Formats: sequence, C-alpha cells, structure tokens
Amino acid sequence: MIRFEHVTRSYGSRVAVDQLDLSVAKGELLALLGHNGAGKTTSLKMIVGLLRPSSGRVSVNGYLVTDHPRETSKLIGYVPDQPYLYEKLSGREFLEFVGEMYGLTSAEVREGVGREAERFQLVEFLDQLTESYSHGMRQRTVFAAAMMHQPEVLIVDEPMVGLDPHSIRMVKDLLREYVSQGKTVLMSTHTLSVAEEIADQVAVMKSGELLFHGPIEQLRSSVPGAIGSLESLYLALMEG
Amino acid sequence: MSTEIRQTVIDDAILSDKLPSHEREGQIFWKLRWRGANAQLHQIFTQARLRTGLVIGLSLLFWVGLFFLFYKGFELVVARVGPPGANYHADTVHFVFTLFFVSLQVMLVFSAGIIFYGGLYASRETNFLLTLPVRDSRLVYYRFQEALFYSSWGFFLLASPMMFAYGMVVSAPWYYYAYMPGLMVAFAYIPCSLGAIVCLLLVSRMPHFRRFVVGGLALVVISIAYFSIWKTLDMADADLLGAAWFKETFRRFEFTREEWLPSTWLSNGLLQAARPRGQDPADLPWLESGKYLLVLVSNALLLHIAVAWVGERIYRESYFGLYTRQARESLARMAWFDRLAFKLLSVFSKETRLLIIKDLRLFRRDPVQWSQFLIFFGLLLLYFLNIDRFRQQRTNINVLAWVNIVSFLNLAVVGLIVSTFTTRFIYPLISLEGRRFWILGRLPVKRDTILWGKFLFAAGGAWVPCTGLVLVSDLMLNVTTMVIFVHQAICIMLCLGLSGMAVGLGAILPDFNEQSPSKIAAGFGGTLNLVLSALYVMIVVFINALPCHYFLMTYAHDMNSRLHSGNLKFWLGVAVFGSCLLTILVTSIPLYKGFKAFRRLEM
Repeated sequence: MIRFEHVTRSYGSRVAVDQLDLSVAKGELLALLGHNGAGKTTSLKMIVGLLRPSSGRVSVNGYLVTDHPRETSKLIGYVPDQPYLYEKLSGREFLEFVGEMYGLTSAEVREGVGREAERFQLVEFLDQLTESYSHGMRQRTVFAAAMMHQPEVLIVDEPMVGLDPHSIRMVKDLLREYVSQGKTVLMSTHTLSVAEEIADQVAVMKSGELLFHGPIEQLRSSVPGAIGSLESLYLALMEG
Repeated sequence: MSTEIRQTVIDDAILSDKLPSHEREGQIFWKLRWRGANAQLHQIFTQARLRTGLVIGLSLLFWVGLFFLFYKGFELVVARVGPPGANYHADTVHFVFTLFFVSLQVMLVFSAGIIFYGGLYASRETNFLLTLPVRDSRLVYYRFQEALFYSSWGFFLLASPMMFAYGMVVSAPWYYYAYMPGLMVAFAYIPCSLGAIVCLLLVSRMPHFRRFVVGGLALVVISIAYFSIWKTLDMADADLLGAAWFKETFRRFEFTREEWLPSTWLSNGLLQAARPRGQDPADLPWLESGKYLLVLVSNALLLHIAVAWVGERIYRESYFGLYTRQARESLARMAWFDRLAFKLLSVFSKETRLLIIKDLRLFRRDPVQWSQFLIFFGLLLLYFLNIDRFRQQRTNINVLAWVNIVSFLNLAVVGLIVSTFTTRFIYPLISLEGRRFWILGRLPVKRDTILWGKFLFAAGGAWVPCTGLVLVSDLMLNVTTMVIFVHQAICIMLCLGLSGMAVGLGAILPDFNEQSPSKIAAGFGGTLNLVLSALYVMIVVFINALPCHYFLMTYAHDMNSRLHSGNLKFWLGVAVFGSCLLTILVTSIPLYKGFKAFRRLEM
C-alpha cells in the first residue's frame, strides 16, 4: 500500500533519509521508531506531499505521490505531530471544511461529522471555537478530520503526545480497529510500549538509515542477547 | 518494481473523482474565510470593545484629518493655479497624483510580496492545506487574496480621502465617484499581483538569497526616494516654491509620469473624470476616464491569471526547495553587546543583571522585535536629520516660535512611539513568563527582583534611543541649551513612567493563556496601557511645552517687562514639578500594585 523505493532526502549536505526501502502492506500497522532526527518525520512528510524525495520514489497504492499529490492525498488521512486547527472555527466547522475539501457531499459531510464526533467524543464541545480546546481535544479533532473521508491509509506522527490515558486507549483501539477493516496505518512514535502493543511490524531508523524492518519477534531473534520488551530490543539495536 | 507502479496507466479520474472542482474549491475557501471573519468580528465587538472602539475612532480621525489636509491643499491649488481646465491645473494635480500613487504602488509591491511570502511559505495553515487535495493554483489564490487585503487597506485609507477631497474641491460629476472604487481596486490589484509573482519567482530561483534581494531592492528604492526628496528641498528658502524650483522638481520626478505605469493610468482616469466637459460634443470625459478604468481592469485581470499560472507551475517546487535547503546553525554565544551590558549594569545586584541580560538576549535574537524598533526609530532619525530648514532665518519670531513647537512635537512623537513599544514589547513580558514561570519561580531570587529587572530593562532600553533621537532633533533645530535640558529631563521621566506603567499593568493583568506577545498587547490590559501611556506622554509634553514656549518667546522679543518673566519662570517650575509628580505617580502606583500581584501569583 505504501512504498519507499531507494528514497533519499537531503537538507543541503545533510542527509535526513538515506536510501530508504520500506513498504507497508494493506491491512497492516507499521510503527516507525528511531531517535530524534532519525528521519521518521521526513519520511512521513514525503508520503503526505509536504516534502519531495531528492531521489527515489514514494508511492501510495501504486500511485506516485510526487506526480499526483492531489489525487493521492485523497487516499491518505494525516495526523501531524503539531496539529493545526483554525482558531476561529468551531470543531464542527473545521470538520465540515475538511470534508468538503475531500469532495464529500453535504449529506456525507453531515454523516461524517456525526460519526467522527461520536467516535472521538467531541460531541459536547463540537460547536465551541477550537481556540478554547485543550491539547487532547485538539489532537482528537485532528484525528477526526483525518478520518472524515475514510481514507485507505492513515499516517500518524507521534499520536500519543499530550493525550490522557483515556484518549490513548481510544486512539490505540481506533488504530487497531481501522487496520482490522483492511486499511493501512503508518505511525511514527517514541512510545515503544504502544508500538509493542498495537503494531504488526516495526521499522527502526537511525541517522536516516533503516536498521530493521519486520515483526517484533523477528527483531527479538535478530538482536543477539536481547530479551524482554521492545524497549530493551530497541536500545540494544541502537547501541549495537 | 516499476511494473508494480501504475503511474503510466494511472487514470486520474478514478482518484480525482468526487474531488471538488476549481470553482467549488474557491467557494469552500470563501466559506472558510466568512466563518472565520464572522467569529473574529463577533469576538472583537463583544470581548474587545475598548480596542475596537479605539481602532475605529482613531482610523476615522486619521481619515478625516487626511481629508481636511488634502481638501485645503487642493483648495490652494485651485486658488493659485486655477480651476480644472485652467492652464497648469491638470499638470499640477497630475504631478501630485502620479507622485503619490507611484509611491504607494512601490509600497504595495513590497508589502504584498512580503505578506504573500509569509502566508504561502511560512505559515502552519499552508502546511496543513498542502496535505489536503487542494490545487496549487487555488492555494496560491487563497494566499494572494489575503496579501491583497492586508497590503492594500493602507492604500485605501490614504488614497480615498485624497480622491474625495479633490472631487469635492473641483465639484466633480457623479461618475467621478462611481469610477473611484473600480479605479482603486483595479489599481491595487496590479502591484499586489506583481509582488506575488516576484515573490514566487524569487523563492523558486533564489531561495537562499531571497532576503538579501528584497533588502537590496528596498535599499535602492529608499535611496532613490531619499535623494529625490533631498535634491528637491536642498536649496535656500528664498528659492523654495519659486517658478524655477517648480520647473526643476517637475522635471526631476518625470519618471513617476511614465505612460506605462498603472499609477499614471489611475491619475489620468481620475483627472479625466473630474474635469468639466469641453465645448466639443465629442469630448466625453466619462468615456475618456472609462478607458483608463478599462486599461486598469484588463491589466488586473491579466495579472490575476498570471498569478495562478505562475503559482501552478512553480509553487510546490519552490516550497520543496525552500524547505529542503541546509538549515543554518545558530550558535548562541555571549556577544560583546551582552558583555558590555553586563559591565554597564554593574551597579545592580548580580541577580538583577542576569535577569536584564536574559531579556536583552531574547530581544536581540528576535528580529520581529528589533526590526520594528529599527524601522520606527530609523525613520524618525531620518526625519530629524532633515529638519534643519528652520535654522535659516533664526531672527524671525515666527520661525523661532515654530522651532520651539516643532521641537516639542518631536519630543511628543518620540514619547508616543516609545509608549507603543512599551505596550507591544514590555507589557506582555510578565504574561509570556507564564509557561516558564516554574524556572523563575523556583530560582533563589525574590520575585520583586524579577519585576525590578524588567522595569530597569524597559527603562534603560527605552531611554537610550529616546534621548538620542530627541538630542538629534534639538541639535538639528539648534534650540537653546535650556530646552535641551528640559527635553532630556522629560525623556528620563517618560521612560521611567512608561516602563513603570507597562511592567506594573503587565503584572496586574497578566494573560498566561496567550503565547503571542502581539495578542497579549492587543487585549484589554494592553489597550488600557496604550491609552494611559499616550495620555501621560501628551500631558507631560504639553504642560512643559506651554510655559517653556512663552518663556522663550518673551526672551527672544525682549518682552520681559510686559509679560512678567518672573511669573513664567514660576509656571515653568510648576510644570517641571508637576511632571515629576505625575511621573512618580504613574511609575510607583502600577509598580506597587504590580509587585503585590506578582508576589501573590500562583501558577
């Protein structure tokens, strides 16, 4: 569903992503792990069309992102690490705007707003201006916006930051349920316990290079001497 | 691998099916704007009445003032040069119009380009919109409309009183007023479009040098304007406004009347519409003016298409280029400036010095703050350096009177600008500490020391440019030593009073939820601080200016015996004492209350 082929992205002389080959299959949840500056966010931004690869190709469902940014964005829902909301719009108006931009009809927009507000427990403050929302409410609203057009692929950058335990549970359940419907999730995170709990596969990046890609079990067997949680495996891999 | 990539056989229709059409995208964006503006207007009229009232009131006052100024000016032209149709009337007004509009035209290119850049390349909203299936050309349009609005409101505010004044003075026919909105909008559209296109090309072709190029161009424009004005005014008073001067000035500014300039089309359109109809039945001013309107509209429409065309082709590429260039490493070191400040502040305790240096560094490393400082004070300095005309004819009592009035007006202007800076930059300082208060609050430093640090930083930071500018003004005007001393004393008072008010009110009315200093300054507390500061400046300057002025006039004309100079000295003393007392009050009361509130502050 998502495919990086020999993708390199540089910022001047600094290489942020180096010859990345990675694919995420349909119905799979892949957690992208790595230290700060490993190239995770740069990789995600190349999928959603905010950055262009210096070389290589990024495709979603077989369609090149660089050649068809508008069309492929229809396939994708994106939750960035720093959510943007229009401060002077209510949550409902924001969701309506996003739905209309994806070409939903009035009835579909109405239905989508109701569905996502219910799912993300936004109903009671849906008509308040978003400037009054807490971080958790904002994050949930952005999630709801990303789901408005029921995309085939969900790209999520650090979804758990600033969320309370209840919201974290909600997001984890949502992502698993979403994947169970045959859709695809690519999630970047530092919260290794969440990755361990919900990811089908993990990919570990370091200094722009892919160190590992596969199921956690495979990681366990590929790091000699490492036992226990994903955290110990991850740290052993990074130090190794 | 490539077999799996279906790019060659991609059927865009499958994916783009149901995505909104170009027109529908436009409608969705207008709906977005309408909803945002609606919420914003509702808020400012219900939650910020004081600020809104002030803004509207002052804008109206400004508009009426400009209208009156232009009205009197055009009356003078009609009286001295003749009514429309008279020899030289059209030439004179054409000269004024083209000069005025060409200046605004250049400013519109720059302001639209800069605002467009901010919206299209440096905004989080654009980042968000780029992840939605929005057409690049629509995104460019959306941002362009914003740049057009924000850059051209100043043009409408400045140009409309002039146009109305001219129309009323020459009793222009109805179609003059009917054409006016179309002429203005179409004219504003042209330089704004050019600014947007230049911005796109600059970021696309020279992302690394974009600031350098804009700065260089601005410098060239300022130099041309400065030298043109300098040359125009650089002559003896006797020759000023004479026939030779007019002829030379007319020739010098010939470049502003080039036929290909939109400012010339606008000027011609207005003049044609305002002039009376001639004897010839084929002479139709409304038609002649209408032709210029059509020229402006057609060019504006062409450029409207050009903006979208250029945007569609290079916007996304230029965006990628800008955001994938090498980031500059910003090394933060102890600059010589900090070291110097540290030494100069050695009279204060170490804690106070460290707090002041911290604020100084934050200020120094934030170009938004010091660039505004630099622009305002730079413009004032430029003006003060060019007011030495009054040095001629020093024996004339009228000139002497004006010298004194102007010197106090200059002092008031400096004071008012300092008051806007203390409101914009000092007042929000306490509110901005909100989220990082745990750092200051946990330090082994008394809370009073924190506020003293801010007060001293504000007073010292305001005093240096304030005293320097006023001294330049006084020296250029060649005022007496006594006036220089009075002005310098007032400067110290103003800096203490304005800083005390800003720091004190900032501590009494903090807004810890807001992280934008401009929004904090624009809130109720900031507006209150601005109003009180402006009142304070005007009172102090006025009560000192009046006795000082009469005192100097009596001495200049040797009228001591008649005007009882003893009384004037007494009133001068009362004025100085009164301003000192007022300064002590406006400094100590807000600071005292601020200290109390800050000591009780819980986070």
